[in-house]
Amino acid sequence: MRRAVWSGSGFVLICACTATQVLAGPTAPTPRVQANYMLNCMGCHIADGSGAPGKIPSLRNTLVPLATSPAGRRFLVQVPGASQSSLSNLELAQVLGWMVRNLSARSVPPDFVDFTASEVARYRRYPLVDVRETRARLLAATADR
Amino acid sequence: MHNPIDDLVERLARDMARRVSRRHFIGGVGALLFGAGTVPLLPVARGEAQPPAQGAAADPGDPRTCEYWRHCAIDGFLCSCCGGSAHSCPPGTEASAVTWLGTCHNPADGHDYIVSYNDCCGKSECGRCLCNRNEDDKPLYVPGKSNDYNWCAGSQVGIAYHCSTARIVGLAK
Repeated sequence: MRRAVWSGSGFVLICACTATQVLAGPTAPTPRVQANYMLNCMGCHIADGSGAPGKIPSLRNTLVPLATSPAGRRFLVQVPGASQSSLSNLELAQVLGWMVRNLSARSVPPDFVDFTASEVARYRRYPLVDVRETRARLLAATADR
Repeated sequence: MHNPIDDLVERLARDMARRVSRRHFIGGVGALLFGAGTVPLLPVARGEAQPPAQGAAADPGDPRTCEYWRHCAIDGFLCSCCGGSAHSCPPGTEASAVTWLGTCHNPADGHDYIVSYNDCCGKSECGRCLCNRNEDDKPLYVPGKSNDYNWCAGSQVGIAYHCSTARIVGLAK
């Protein structure tokens, strides 16, 4: 019964958000960095970064551990959706920083360093082939820290 | 979240919906209960007979036409012609969260809006109002910018594609 109540309230909430969105529409311009996320990443990672269960892994719990280690930062740039996007090095650096600050379910450590265009350029030219294996290895390593 | 009984019933219902024609089923039950000749034929208001909606001033045009401004980058059947709308899926289908996005120019206010073309999934093709404008679509070798995928592969109800919506998600500068 409790589950039914929760489902119902979630449904109402979704309807309310959808209705507001449809009737009012966005009135303030979407910031450029967020628009770049929408047009280049959100199609698969969806608005809050949670992806699709069993198909597209959620990045909400992995962004912070990856973005705070050198090997993880290299992975975030080299992962095909990022490195092969039509974003410039600067735009990709900005989108990655925006994702860490806005889509992470974990709190961003105060010493988090934003990505720079030169850092992106350095990593981006080397293709990443074993994406899943690299991701699993990096996340296992961060779990040990 | 998922109840096994709900999942089973949903799967059975979807399987039956794909195999069995609803009109045939309703016709059979009707004939059995009442007899075809005994039921007076009443006039039926058909959705297609209604005059097309003109839309609000800020959202001009008819969502049931391919020319509607939000459809600039769409590739598929318009949900507005299939029992849904430009922003909602028809009954019996579920929106795929995974989707293709593009920008379209609204002639009413001169702004470019970010449009999310969420596919509605779980039923076979709607077949009405095919619209294939594809502005800013790129070939499949540019995977992040190609809309020639079946986005229903990312939904939780299977890859059967029914129609596409065109939801506003942002305002591009």
